[in-house]
Amino acid sequence: MKVSKQQKNVTLDPGFAGEIQRRSGENVFMCYQCRKCASGCPSRMFMDSTPTELMRYAQLGMADEAMKKNTIWYCLSCQTCSARCPADIDIAHVVDTMRIIVQERKIKAQSNKLPLFNRLWMTMIKFMGRAYEPGIVVSLNLLSGKPAKDIGLGMKMIRKGKLKLWPSFKKPFAMIKMFAGARRLKK
Amino acid sequence: MKLAYYPGCSLHSSAVEYDISTRKVCETLGIELAEIKDWVCCGSSPAHQKDELMSIALPAKNIALVREMGDLKEICAPCASCYSRLKVAKQKLADDNLRKDVETIIGSKCPDDIEVLHMLDVITDRLGLEAIKEKVVRSLDGMKIACYYGCLMTRPPKVTGKTNFENPTQMESLIEALGAEALDWNMKTFCCGAAFALTKTEVVLELTRKILADAAAVGADAIAVGCPLCHANLDGRQTQINRKFGTNFHIPVFYFTELMGLALGIRAGELGIFKHITETEDFLKERAFK
Ligand code: SF4
Ligand code: SF4
Repeated sequence: MKVSKQQKNVTLDPGFAGEIQRRSGENVFMCYQCRKCASGCPSRMFMDSTPTELMRYAQLGMADEAMKKNTIWYCLSCQTCSARCPADIDIAHVVDTMRIIVQERKIKAQSNKLPLFNRLWMTMIKFMGRAYEPGIVVSLNLLSGKPAKDIGLGMKMIRKGKLKLWPSFKKPFAMIKMFAGARRLKK
Repeated sequence: MKLAYYPGCSLHSSAVEYDISTRKVCETLGIELAEIKDWVCCGSSPAHQKDELMSIALPAKNIALVREMGDLKEICAPCASCYSRLKVAKQKLADDNLRKDVETIIGSKCPDDIEVLHMLDVITDRLGLEAIKEKVVRSLDGMKIACYYGCLMTRPPKVTGKTNFENPTQMESLIEALGAEALDWNMKTFCCGAAFALTKTEVVLELTRKILADAAAVGADAIAVGCPLCHANLDGRQTQINRKFGTNFHIPVFYFTELMGLALGIRAGELGIFKHITETEDFLKERAFK
């Protein structure tokens, strides 16, 4: 269905709220736009639209507005909104669910660094069992084209013995099996 | 008291002083920590942002590993993020369908009678402040401390079970038991931006600046924290913040276990305090701590 909003066309996905509920158990229709979530959000100043608006987009099925803007990629998962919502919606969980949909459908996100970080992290623990900080920093910086980011801080941490120079491998076979199992179940 | 100990990835690397001080303090207080054998990463925020099922399965795997260690009934996690993920998993596993899926993935049963505690809960609730007061040999008298909780130690209350999540006072009661003065301030549960530490550092710098500014405004000598990610930002980013905003912060940031260690008479070097990025030497020297 297409409706026209001022000059721009908006594509509606009537199943969007349903998909969020099916995946997360959160019912976005409970939101009555009180704006408590938006007013307490520490990351609001960086976002295109507020968490409250995000809820409205979800109610109206405006999936593109919800998922292509930067809002979901600036949520810090700080849980302030979820702790305060009078309608008892876990908003941070709704945001997570939208992020998962975006990553699964490979929609081009406004910020590609967070999906990249998530992918690197999960790949790392799949093969190593534990996160290896220097590895993740170096690969993230290289792949996002900023090889020298935080290098001063990194050197200082090495001097202070705060970075492990060699990764450890814990249960690699069991972990790979777990990831494969989760994949099978999702199908 | 014997507990299963889940240090998490940070405590084995960038937050090694939190691990060192936790072990030292527990040893002094007679708490036995049994590190979970071959524990794996809890998945932290990448897992819950990318893969709902694995974000439950990874913590569940660790809870299942505890069962192999005998009849331990409690896991203690010093990292707020690990604590939160373990607790969320425990709660979600009440759903039988999810439990079946997760147990298929991890290839074993996941016990449902194991309690998850943050290190601070172990100290204030399990051990109790009276027991600590008895062991204080070097009161932190005269220190003004701003206690910082960040997000996941208290939020969301449905997961943590904390009733005073907007204005928690648990860490304050501990700091006062050690003899220091705990300050009243505004930013104790304001997010430091940890989830974006590596991806959107400009967000971290702005949020952390606000926290440091408020601590400085109320006259804090130091900040106390209970999370390796909060520590990495508050302690590690001060130089970058000063450069970016023209401020002049130099506030030592301690793990609450380090402050406990000092009060229990353990030397700063043995607690790993000199590993901080923001120097603590002058602060300790002024107060004649070894
Ligand atoms: S706090 Fe809850 S009810 Fe209020 S606007 Fe946000 S989501 Fe809607
Ligand atoms: S969880 Fe996300 S949306 Fe909610 S207050 Fe925190 S940053 Fe804002």
